[in-house]
Amino acid sequence: MKLASLIGIEAVAFLLIIGETYLFFMAIIPLGPVPHSLAVYTAITLLKVGLTFGLGILWLAVMVSLTRLYVRSRLRTRTPTPSS
Amino acid sequence: MQPDLAEAGLILLSFIIPLLLVILAMPRSIRYLTRSGRVVDDVHKQPPTKVPFPVGPLLFLGALAGEIFVYIAFGSLVPLAVIGGAAIAFAIGLADDLFVLGGKTKPLLLLFAAVPLVVSGVFQKNLYESNLTFPLLGHIGEHFTIYILLVLVAFPVVANAFNMMDSFNGQISGFTLLTSLALLFGVVLHAIADSSFSLARVASVLPLVAIAAGFFVFNRYPSKAFDGDSGALMLGAMFASLAITGGVEIAAMIAIVPAILNSFYTLSSARGFVERRRMAARPTHLGEDGKMYPSLEPSSPNTLIRLILLSGPLDERDLVKSIFILTAVACLLSGAISVLTWVH
Repeated sequence: MKLASLIGIEAVAFLLIIGETYLFFMAIIPLGPVPHSLAVYTAITLLKVGLTFGLGILWLAVMVSLTRLYVRSRLRTRTPTPSS
Repeated sequence: MQPDLAEAGLILLSFIIPLLLVILAMPRSIRYLTRSGRVVDDVHKQPPTKVPFPVGPLLFLGALAGEIFVYIAFGSLVPLAVIGGAAIAFAIGLADDLFVLGGKTKPLLLLFAAVPLVVSGVFQKNLYESNLTFPLLGHIGEHFTIYILLVLVAFPVVANAFNMMDSFNGQISGFTLLTSLALLFGVVLHAIADSSFSLARVASVLPLVAIAAGFFVFNRYPSKAFDGDSGALMLGAMFASLAITGGVEIAAMIAIVPAILNSFYTLSSARGFVERRRMAARPTHLGEDGKMYPSLEPSSPNTLIRLILLSGPLDERDLVKSIFILTAVACLLSGAISVLTWVH
């Protein structure tokens, strides 16, 4: 089936979206003790922002890698076009 | 929650009114647009045919009629919040149809489409819950500030994702129909599971399903009408509002995964928000045999369409069928998420 690989990519995107959204709300947002000083508060906030970006970058990295793999494998077997 | 006979009738009417309005008024709208010279080339035909454009205003009228009916019938602010966001997205899309807005202007302006929903939440406290419900795991805690920020971001993201799915005959109408049915399924399960969940939230989804179904009749291959950005952005904004008011954000997000992937591919390969008319290279081209081929230009955007075509050239009808298969798979996953979330 021609679409099987794309459906696979779709399924990975689905699992990552669910998993990362859960991690964001359950692990990153409640992170750390109640801050007692501005320095601790700033550090925790920066850590949360960093971890959130990390989740975003993880999603992008996985998607880009899967897409590159897909494009490479398809280009290897692609037939030439009549107008190019 | 089980509706009585009168409520069931009202729910049915909130589907039938917008459906009939779109189906009955569309031929007249098409004739008017053709007479006044508002037609564009259907560039995926050999030779290109002329198609009336934009019928977004008629789709908006259908949505407006349906949501106002739901407001009158159920007295909730939900349909007003939904149509308010849709109206702003529609106005931005219409401005783009008539004058062409910049690639970055549209997403920024679309932030305003979230305002009616956020403001309505002040007047009706239970309009949406500022938390998410996960499959098997249930509610997470309240995170009001983060949730409102996500609501603000959701509108430009979802509306643009819908707009980027508007390239081929029947693509946007079929995509909206499938995803809105998945959304409806989630909202119905939520209503059954939660006795305090108002029927207005279920009824508010039906105008979206109705206008997508009515439009599909005229937009499917070979298209007799194009919606324009005014239609696509409005459909996306309605979808976002309904996912939030229905409390089915996660299932809704999963249903539109093909559109999210398509936006991601386009944005990452075009390196940011670039108006599609100004892209350096097209992702696909039409061969002399009438089939679509992936572009071999290194600078061409890596859209979902290009990825599909890398498996082999397809005519427009089969290409759209492939997109529908990917969307249907995402909608099935969304349905599974809804069952795991609301059926215990």
